[in-house]
Amino acid sequence: MVKIIRPFEDVNKQTTLVIRTGWLVCLAVIWISASLFGTTHLFPSISQVSEGFSTLWNEGLVVHVGSSLSLCFKAVLIAVVISLVFCYLSPLPLLKPLAGALSKFRYLPFAGISYYLGIVILDARLLQVWVLVVFMSTFFITSILEVIEEIPDEEFDHAKTLGCTRWEVLWEIVINGRFDYVIESIRQNLAIVWMMLITVESILASAGGLGFLIKFSDKSGNQGRVIALQIIILLIGISLDFLLTKTRKIAFRFSKI
Amino acid sequence: MNNYELTKTILCLDNVSAGYDGKTILKNVNLSIKDVVREGMTGTGQITAVVGRSGRGKSTLFKVLTGLINQIKEPVKRYPDHSWRTGRVLISSPIATDTDSAKEVVEGDVGFVDQKYTLFRHKTVNSIMQYAIDKKKNHLSKIDKNKLIEEQLETWGLKDHKDKYPCELSGGQRQRTAIIEQLLTSKHFMVFDEPFSGLDVGNIEKVKDAFNLILNEGEELNTIIFSTHDLKLAVELADLIFVIGYPEGTTEYSTVIQKYDLKALGLAWTKFGQGHLDLMRQIKEVMLKS
Repeated sequence: MVKIIRPFEDVNKQTTLVIRTGWLVCLAVIWISASLFGTTHLFPSISQVSEGFSTLWNEGLVVHVGSSLSLCFKAVLIAVVISLVFCYLSPLPLLKPLAGALSKFRYLPFAGISYYLGIVILDARLLQVWVLVVFMSTFFITSILEVIEEIPDEEFDHAKTLGCTRWEVLWEIVINGRFDYVIESIRQNLAIVWMMLITVESILASAGGLGFLIKFSDKSGNQGRVIALQIIILLIGISLDFLLTKTRKIAFRFSKI
Repeated sequence: MNNYELTKTILCLDNVSAGYDGKTILKNVNLSIKDVVREGMTGTGQITAVVGRSGRGKSTLFKVLTGLINQIKEPVKRYPDHSWRTGRVLISSPIATDTDSAKEVVEGDVGFVDQKYTLFRHKTVNSIMQYAIDKKKNHLSKIDKNKLIEEQLETWGLKDHKDKYPCELSGGQRQRTAIIEQLLTSKHFMVFDEPFSGLDVGNIEKVKDAFNLILNEGEELNTIIFSTHDLKLAVELADLIFVIGYPEGTTEYSTVIQKYDLKALGLAWTKFGQGHLDLMRQIKEVMLKS
């Protein structure tokens, strides 16, 4: 028993199961207590949340999920392509400062980015995509640049001793040899895009999406719907995370990140 | 004692200095290694050891030998953030008939196996071999290339592991893959940076076996230069030993402070004995002073 409160102790599977079940029970108790007792309720009751689920389903939840996923995938795809071009060319002394500067743009406020993009892009759906693209690219470039930076010198030296040209070194070590890291970076940065959905989807309400739904539910003070939507968003996020990890492990057997 | 003959020079460092970030690590290094022809031996086969205390520039010397540090002609202070090297590093193939065949070393000329046995992480053993052979032996037909790969995999006991990635190999298998890869691409000699570092007795024996295989590999590539902290292994395996360290009166840079020719001393290619132990003691004393 003492083991579970001592750092770096190994516990068996049964104990792990008991610990996890215990935490789930705690969560349920906190939720039920917070939704039942007192005059103001911190959380909606379970019945309110399940009602939220059923109204969302009847309002075409699947279509909204599809809209959000489509927006997310488009943005991720464009952001990844743009970022990889800058990152893969960053070993060129001429372009190195550019990639570094783009990475620093992640400190720019979201409102400023969307303001300028709003001037340039008139189509609202396209604006949604590009706001996410710009936002994600800065984080994605930062991740990939770090991956390149952390490649041990020995790997570059190894390729050079085999007689590889500098372009071959770039291809074999940075591009081909680290493609699994691209998938991993997408996985890590997807959470940022997913988090930005609410803000971005409010730009064009007619396109719908999970972000629009949550904002709408928030305005109408429907707590049950808000929590139901949070659960849906969380589950989709976790599923995407799982899928990307599985894809990386299946597609790149050598990947031991 | 074996009869031997020193023939042409296969490596010559002429007044080489090298360093990083504007700092001099090696200064005025002069050394040469000649091809050794032994009576009754088909392969020429020589092993040179480089010993020295930590931080005395052994790895820098090896990067210089393999052409990984480029030669500069301008004053060093103009390259404050890069590795640099002055002086000449000349290599020559032992089988070249042209006496003027010596050339300045460039990356890719010399095989280099680092102590981590670095490999392409995204290639299987077979594709590593394929890539290496395509790099340097592209004149061969596809059938001949595959035959050569099969032969090497068989010789080095890697046939059953050819579809594995480096992360799926054991330390010993990884080591052998790194050696074959360099054997397939190198034309002059092979450099091993601390190949015995961190290995257990079993794996040390495997590296020794690998050295023997390289020595009998062929006419052209059968010279090994390795660095080690293990003086017993250096004296046991090498026929020529260079000691790298600080010259008397300075700790600013290192250079070759002593050379031991075990062939001339009658200690090369003989069973480890008292002579080897005495030499070990001598080298130890020299190293401690440097």
